Amino acid sequence: MEQLVMNSIEQSLDNNQPLSFQTLASIRSLVINPSTSDSTLSSVLNALTRSLQLSRDSVFLHHVVKLLTDLSSRCPHLSPVAIDLLRSNSLFTSSDSPRLVGESLSALVSLTSSQNDVDDARFVSLCLSPSVSVRLWLLRNAEKFAVRDSVLLAVFLGFTRDPYPYVRKAALDGLVKLCEKGDFDDHDVAQGCYFRAVELLCDAEDCVRSPAVRAVCGWGKMIVVSTEERNKQDLADAVFIQLCCMVRDMSMEVRLEAFDALGKIGLVSEDILLQTVSKKVLGMNKEKIYKPIEGLEISASGAAGAFVHGLEDEFSEVRMSACYSLRTLTVFSLRFAGEALNLLMDMLNDDSTVVRLQALGTMHHMAISNNLKVEEIHMHRFLGTLFDSSSAIRFVTRKILKLAKLPKLGLFKLCIDGLLGNLETYPEDEVDVFSVLFHIGRNHGKFTVCMIEEVSSELEPAFGGKLGFDSTRVAAFLVLAISVPLSHEKDARGVPPRIFSYAVTWLGRISHALSDLMSQETLLAYLSECSRSSIISLADFKIKDALPTVEGDMPSHLCSDVGSPVRIPLWQQDGETSDHHHTKLWSLGKSATHAEYELGEHDELRKSLNLIFRKVKDLWPLVQLGCTNEALKAIRACKEEVASYTAESPGSAGAVAFTLQYLRITKLLVAVWEHLMLTKKLNPYGVGKLELLLAKLDRRLREINNRFIGLSKGEELQIMDLIVVACLLRLSKVEICCYETAMKKLSSTISHVEFLHKEGSIEPSHFMVEVKKSLHEVGSSIGGNTCKPLLFKKLVDSFSFEQFVLCASPRYLNAELEVPGNDSESPLPFISGIPASIPLVITLHNISSDNKLWLRISMSEESTQFVFLDLNLIRGNNEVRKFTFVAPFYLTPKAVSFTLRVSIGMECMGETLHLVKTFGGPKCELTYLSPEKEIFLCKSTKC
Amino acid sequence: MAIDCLVLGAGQEVGKSCVVVSINGKRIMFDCGMHMGYTDSRRYPDFSLISKTGDFDNALTCVIITHFHLDHIGALPYFTEVCGYRGPIYMTYPTKALAPLMLEDYRKNMDRRGEDGQFTSDHITECMKKVIPVDLKQTVQVDKDLQIRAYYAGHVLGAAMFYAKVGDAAMVYTGDYNMTPDRHLGAAQIDRLQLDLLITESTYATTIRDSRYGREREFLKAVHNCVAAGGKVLIPTFALGRAQELCILLEDYWERMNLKVPIYFSSGLTIQANMYYKMLINWTSQKIKETYATHNAFDFKNVQNFDRSLINAPGPCVLFATPGMISGGFSLEVFMQWAPSEINLITLPGYCVAGTIGHKLMSGKPTKIDLDKDTQVDVRCQIHQLSFSPHTDAKGIMDLVKFLSPKHAILVHGEKPKMATLKERIQSELGIQCYCPANNDTVTIPTTHYVKADALDAFIKSCLNPNFKFSKSSSVDKSYSGSNDSKAIPGLQVSDERVAEGILVVEKGKKAKVIHQDELLHMLGENKHEVQFAYCFPMRTERLEKTRSEDLPSADDLLCGLDKCTLISLLSTKLSNELSDGNIQDLGEQLQVESFCLSICLKDNCPHRISDSVQNDSEVVFCCCSWSVADEMLAWKIISIMNNYTLPLEGRLQVHI
Repeated sequence: MEQLVMNSIEQSLDNNQPLSFQTLASIRSLVINPSTSDSTLSSVLNALTRSLQLSRDSVFLHHVVKLLTDLSSRCPHLSPVAIDLLRSNSLFTSSDSPRLVGESLSALVSLTSSQNDVDDARFVSLCLSPSVSVRLWLLRNAEKFAVRDSVLLAVFLGFTRDPYPYVRKAALDGLVKLCEKGDFDDHDVAQGCYFRAVELLCDAEDCVRSPAVRAVCGWGKMIVVSTEERNKQDLADAVFIQLCCMVRDMSMEVRLEAFDALGKIGLVSEDILLQTVSKKVLGMNKEKIYKPIEGLEISASGAAGAFVHGLEDEFSEVRMSACYSLRTLTVFSLRFAGEALNLLMDMLNDDSTVVRLQALGTMHHMAISNNLKVEEIHMHRFLGTLFDSSSAIRFVTRKILKLAKLPKLGLFKLCIDGLLGNLETYPEDEVDVFSVLFHIGRNHGKFTVCMIEEVSSELEPAFGGKLGFDSTRVAAFLVLAISVPLSHEKDARGVPPRIFSYAVTWLGRISHALSDLMSQETLLAYLSECSRSSIISLADFKIKDALPTVEGDMPSHLCSDVGSPVRIPLWQQDGETSDHHHTKLWSLGKSATHAEYELGEHDELRKSLNLIFRKVKDLWPLVQLGCTNEALKAIRACKEEVASYTAESPGSAGAVAFTLQYLRITKLLVAVWEHLMLTKKLNPYGVGKLELLLAKLDRRLREINNRFIGLSKGEELQIMDLIVVACLLRLSKVEICCYETAMKKLSSTISHVEFLHKEGSIEPSHFMVEVKKSLHEVGSSIGGNTCKPLLFKKLVDSFSFEQFVLCASPRYLNAELEVPGNDSESPLPFISGIPASIPLVITLHNISSDNKLWLRISMSEESTQFVFLDLNLIRGNNEVRKFTFVAPFYLTPKAVSFTLRVSIGMECMGETLHLVKTFGGPKCELTYLSPEKEIFLCKSTKC
Repeated sequence: MAIDCLVLGAGQEVGKSCVVVSINGKRIMFDCGMHMGYTDSRRYPDFSLISKTGDFDNALTCVIITHFHLDHIGALPYFTEVCGYRGPIYMTYPTKALAPLMLEDYRKNMDRRGEDGQFTSDHITECMKKVIPVDLKQTVQVDKDLQIRAYYAGHVLGAAMFYAKVGDAAMVYTGDYNMTPDRHLGAAQIDRLQLDLLITESTYATTIRDSRYGREREFLKAVHNCVAAGGKVLIPTFALGRAQELCILLEDYWERMNLKVPIYFSSGLTIQANMYYKMLINWTSQKIKETYATHNAFDFKNVQNFDRSLINAPGPCVLFATPGMISGGFSLEVFMQWAPSEINLITLPGYCVAGTIGHKLMSGKPTKIDLDKDTQVDVRCQIHQLSFSPHTDAKGIMDLVKFLSPKHAILVHGEKPKMATLKERIQSELGIQCYCPANNDTVTIPTTHYVKADALDAFIKSCLNPNFKFSKSSSVDKSYSGSNDSKAIPGLQVSDERVAEGILVVEKGKKAKVIHQDELLHMLGENKHEVQFAYCFPMRTERLEKTRSEDLPSADDLLCGLDKCTLISLLSTKLSNELSDGNIQDLGEQLQVESFCLSICLKDNCPHRISDSVQNDSEVVFCCCSWSVADEMLAWKIISIMNNYTLPLEGRLQVHI
């Protein structure tokens, strides 16, 4: 067949006839067919080369370009020739068809990464040719060519006049990109671009208006930067108002862009800011007209109510964006911050959790930048969020409370009541609530003393001399009380010394909660010191100095400016600080990049997942103390919470699955830990249980190690830590230790860690270093082949649970198995002794053809059979492949019916199977990607 | 061409919305509402103004109903069944589904009060059969010329704004709309259209409302305080719309605060309406649409059916009762029972028509209310005025008008003095001609008229090729460009002339054509004429001693040729010193700058020379110049440089045609 086609091609070429379309079609089928030999393909290429000299018909050339593209992607070794051909004059200079030129260009760009095919003049002339599609393509891909920025600017600016909306959009996008590069300091150019962008804000098409908003923002900032100092304020105001005018657009995308942009304008004057939170035009803004550049006029009334509208927008995306933008703007004016807070407090009633979270996030931001002024009427609603069912929301609320400085005893009591209520409703928040109480206590020494006096009867030990401290509430008050001597207020005294001795009985829990402030020993020393005398001279008490100066979640650059490190005086209106913020934001307005502010609101999910990871880390001391049940309960709660994220967005499935897996591992670790670390003796059946747990842990670890791709080196290292711990746990118990295998695994893991360490230049954890060192010691005495459980136990003790930080979004390798229509009622037929066929519908997610997949079909442990799945034969992209696969099962038993268990496993490289169970099966350990599927078979009745 | 707009109802008042618009020969009736404040003939629009003979089928092209409120649809059964209109009626699917409920409810209330019904249950059924439902953004071709399209309006379930287009004239009738979303409905949404006329409601022509969060907070606080004190809360509402919004709000709050106080719905109507709401999820707000898959927001957990016996049952409760404004019916019945107790609460809707009890309660705080001659009710209960309203506020109206930027605007459905204020604002701030006609007035506005024209090839080609130009006013020398631009423009301007650059040719009896300028001559069959200026002026020379020999013309020519060349090169150097830009070309015997061309004139009687300015022939040499009209400025500049310190400039222009 190949020969036949080739002959007909040769024939027509020999007769100097151009190739017919039919011939081209058969060439196409040759190119597509995977079994066409390489020699045929290269002769096809030759034929195409020759045919190019014969015909200049544009339709013909169009087909040739397509064929050349396909050909060179099909066989890479031919692509240089094909590319040369595409570059050659015959295709490139056919000026009569710019479309063709465009096609060959896009083919070239897709095949090579070189940029030298198009120079400035050629780019411009192609853009100016009548073909709209080529123009659009060129504008969109402009950065792929080596065209000077000044030329690009002219082209982009010119095409903002194009009658086709998508060309206008592409041109505006290009202008925004150029602006971000920021190489233009010509004031005229910036003004021209800004002017044009403002004109396009009134475009009839949504798709043009939203890039126009971005362009107005970008070039607006550019003109602000390039004008002289005294006009800057007015200009920035004008740009801001211009953007405010777009918040009432009918298109959600445009509104979203507008609010994103509002947050990026640097300095805005207070009058204008106040106008954005009032729908009525304020007196001072009436008849205020700005003329940012000649020919443009904008009235201050345009800004009226921008944020009011934004916060009650129908779409939660817009509301989020509005909340987020407020964060940067509240810094400029205390009055504005107050007004904005009124609106934000209302947002706590919003029906969307993410919006509530964003509103709280903004408040927290206001608190750190010293302009959160919560009033009594807000208090009720604000504290209500402590009862919210989402732990993320409660967490942020408490974070804000940590920074709070309350002016009245009443408010203070309300806060404490709120926190106690929180503790009562959600006991899992204990650690954080205690920590918050301690901070609040330090910030409000006198109020705390009043409060403790009121509740002192509750704190007294129960009647009969026995200490009845079993209520969390008491513990909470104790935490509050012991913070007093460390108060920032000078003359806050008066907590009875016995309270401190009561607190000692809670040492474990309290020190756990305050672990970020002081160690258990320090706390003990402090408590005993305080319990001895009622008047403590803290000047000679070293604790105060020993306290860490920075509170965990406060950005350090702000702390350095504030006198007291922990307390942020919320109620002081310090002119200097606000000036400081002014200048700070000034520079922010100037700089083109806002990495800090653009760290999107879109990774909310990752934020909350990281909160979970943090929580897990916080649990670890509990485990070490032996409170296994509490820890397990909390992990279970975390799991539930994570599971609830699944529905939120489809793209995040990987991150959620990863977190779940991580939690499962932690759970198993906790369970194993209980068995190993406690002094209590292992009961006989405990060994078996432990073995089961360890096996499960191994399996889970293998899964987390192999089923997620796209993790960073740091993240991988942390997983390695866990694997090493699992090995050590195994090694530290003689009863279950399978010494050699475990050692082998340990050393291979360590070497992998070393490899990662070298490659990514990330420091391995302290624990890992320790392990490596002692492993070396063991290695030197390896001849003896003695196990050293004590050494390993020591190593395990040195393990500290690090907080996992998820920064990438991992992809999840997953598979689904389905046998349509099969259940116990309608089984598949089989004839015993003859292989049965099982039609499986398989869906694979994120699996590339490099992975080795096996079907594991088992009737029982003894009769297990592996079938290899060759992914190269299966079409589909790497994200999702769905196909039907008929798997044979050879060992059909002599039975009327039986069931099979089928699952899909992936070979994990590097982990060789220590026991080869079946011939022809996988060589390495399998990670199972799908749950086991039960398949019912029944003896065929037909024969 | 003009649009005639006859306002039959809701002109300078609220109630019986009805506007008849004639565009290009098509007549559309927008809304057909009844006035709730009247029981006599003023209740309905005066349909006789549409057609004296009562032949409505020929007088109207179609009827469009925006939403199911009675002041927008109440007169429809009367109009179709009693007056006999049989033409097409358009409304959205939800309106078609819910309108019969509203009409039936109204009819029953009328019957109960013993008023003559005007229309019957059968009328409603028959009328609804004539309705053609439309979907959002679906373009309906009513007939050959008339297109209509519905846009989401918020306000109530199924409310729509309608766009109508006949030929080149286009308009939008908004009906009632809301520019801010609420708990269950989204905000109005419309495309940017080219409009001649916008007819908009103006219920809140001057009010600017706060954020709805504040209103929700107030409402929840009032209700919570009342039920916490053991009181009963009466919420008179329309069966559809506010009832659902408030119920979603209360439901949410009840869940959060874990309240057990029962919430009742007074009649089967509302329950039935909830069912429709559940089905018409597509018309609700984004949030409800998104969460619909997991929980339907209209599946109220705490809501129960109300029984008349429960009116005096002990304990707190919340009751939704129809009709709103306490104009009669069940809400009046409950009001009479509950009003005398201080612990009870009545929440009133945002707007009450004059004459209803709601209106009386709102205006001041009366202690007694006379129901009729014999009955009087003591009012001791608390009254909370709900400012929930599904209408847009003044800012919203301005925003919509600004967004659509129509050529003319008409305000209806509002109160006269407030409308006048808004009208002024629209005219002064947006520069849009605005009207607020009274009932039975007609407003006529001109419309755009487009002429269809053929385009010739060269014009089409020039349209396809981008042809943008940049102008940089600041860097251009003022003396060239002239300061004729009174409007200041920024430094860099871009313009694309490919579309603008055409010439419209209308020949008698032929279709108009748009052509490219290059095609014009060819089309008219004329030759090209150029205007050329010529001027010959003397320049003083000191060194030049010219001998003129008549005998040796060839030698003389040669000599002069050489002479000319030196002179020209001299001039060329001088010019290039003086002129900063401009491309000066020395062509030997000629000097050329753009189209300006200068040569030494040897003719004694050059037609372009001014003879009397010459004093001494031997001391001057004549320069003959010519230039085309485009370079006039440049030419005079060069000439003035040449003449700088010699002779006073005096020129004569000669025009060749």
